[in-house]
Amino acid sequence: MNQPSHTTCSHSAADIAVSVRDLRVTLGGQAILRGVNLHLHRGQLVALIGPNGSGKTTLLRAIVGLQKPDSGEVRLFGESNLQKALPRVGYVPQRLALDRSFILSVREFLALRLRETQHWFWHRHRDTDDRLRAGMAELGAESLLDRPIAALSGGQLQRVLIVFALLRNPDLLLLDEPTAGVDTPGEQDFYETIAEVHRRHKLTVVLVSHDLSMVHRHASWVYALNGVVCCEGSPEHVMNADSLKEAYGLNVTPYHHHHNHSHGPGGGAAQ
Amino acid sequence: MNLLSDIEPFMLRAFAVAVVMGPLCALLGVFVTARRMAFFSDTIAHGALAGIGLGFLLGFEDPTWPMVLFSLLVAAAILWLKEHTDLLTDTIMALLLSGSVAFGIIVLSLLKNRRGELHRYLFGDILSVGPDDVWLAVVLCGAIGVWLFAKLSPLALLTASEDLAHVCGVRTRWLNYAFVLVLTVVVSLSIRLLGIILVTSLVVIPPAAARNLARNLRQQLILSLIIGLFGGAAGTVASYHWDIPCGPAIVMACIAVFIGSLLVSKLWLNKPVKAA
Repeated sequence: MNQPSHTTCSHSAADIAVSVRDLRVTLGGQAILRGVNLHLHRGQLVALIGPNGSGKTTLLRAIVGLQKPDSGEVRLFGESNLQKALPRVGYVPQRLALDRSFILSVREFLALRLRETQHWFWHRHRDTDDRLRAGMAELGAESLLDRPIAALSGGQLQRVLIVFALLRNPDLLLLDEPTAGVDTPGEQDFYETIAEVHRRHKLTVVLVSHDLSMVHRHASWVYALNGVVCCEGSPEHVMNADSLKEAYGLNVTPYHHHHNHSHGPGGGAAQ
Repeated sequence: MNLLSDIEPFMLRAFAVAVVMGPLCALLGVFVTARRMAFFSDTIAHGALAGIGLGFLLGFEDPTWPMVLFSLLVAAAILWLKEHTDLLTDTIMALLLSGSVAFGIIVLSLLKNRRGELHRYLFGDILSVGPDDVWLAVVLCGAIGVWLFAKLSPLALLTASEDLAHVCGVRTRWLNYAFVLVLTVVVSLSIRLLGIILVTSLVVIPPAAARNLARNLRQQLILSLIIGLFGGAAGTVASYHWDIPCGPAIVMACIAVFIGSLLVSKLWLNKPVKAA
């Protein structure tokens, strides 16, 4: 099967949630992203896979404007001013480190997403409270509302962060390894929940993941990343492609080669 | 009225400054402590000493503005060195703290007629609080208080996570700068009352005591504000009554509340020290 058509020519611009053009990012002298191109269609559940250090997190951070690119362009819903598009985006970072000394409760934390100081500080509104409660109930975390957010377990915190991201009804949800703090038996459950959120809210989800069986089961489109997009397509297409093995293989090679000899073409830099 | 007219005017001025600066420092302190900026606050306070020395050297009779400006310079230097070198933040702050203290002391020792000033600024002196200082404190605290309440949600979000704050549309860079600016101005203006050495206590102790009792951020903010108000008021009254220095009296009043809060949290609230 040939590479499926994915460029704008077959879709109208309004159909594209995220478009990334020739994105280059260097961190600490190392080229992390070396010309990434992708176009994510609205309504899809997109999985971003790739070995450690392949730039998945950096790409996600660049999409929401947390990482300034050296060159290239990111557009969200056709808007190149990311600040303008951010209200339509929910973002769940990887392993959020919260200081235990900060005593923010889950209820207060969620109210911050709505920017309602009124609600959490001055007077609690029933409407807002119902909205927070409903959001938490959807992720099965209602009982956590009054807990300090820094005291939550990894899995609990991830659920709260997803509720936080969904509160303003975003059109795009970006999840950076959402199961990083979740125990193995809980992982399957967690992906089911995300797939359910994707169906119910009819939004575009981009998910960074290591779990290939999850990707196979739930994703509608997959990007394999290793500094550049090595391969993209339906899960079946990407999982069976030689280029995927190549993408992972490239990262494995340096661990075994400590001696100095030059590799043949394609052995060093990806692509 | 009769009671007030019996009290000496300098005491009333000190009281007025203490009851506006106390709660403001305490409120700012909730974010300062949560963002691990207590040492930062201490450094900019010590930076003021260099400003005071420089102010006298340049012929200022009242070194308030040179003091504020030099503290701002130290704050800017911390931020710049943090961004442009590989040094750790506490190394940078220790360097600037000792540097500005050394500079300030050398300048003051060279100015023969200003040697007595060192003691006043290190430990605070309520006699030096003039009528203009009261107005400055009231107007400034009013303005900063309004700003603080307007920015309560973005600040709380920034404290929880800069990344999330950015994605929620907070201009994190500017808010960070604004917070440092406000903290620097408030700390350096509180030096008159508490002195360089003790001023950070008003930023650290009330939020710490409130943290012992609070179950959420709202409670911590409110309790901290009340403790700051109480510490300022009780300290100045005690200072007047027992003829003890005002700054240390305010600090001891806050410490007393802290010990009380610790006992209450251990004996009644049964709050776990660290959540499992």
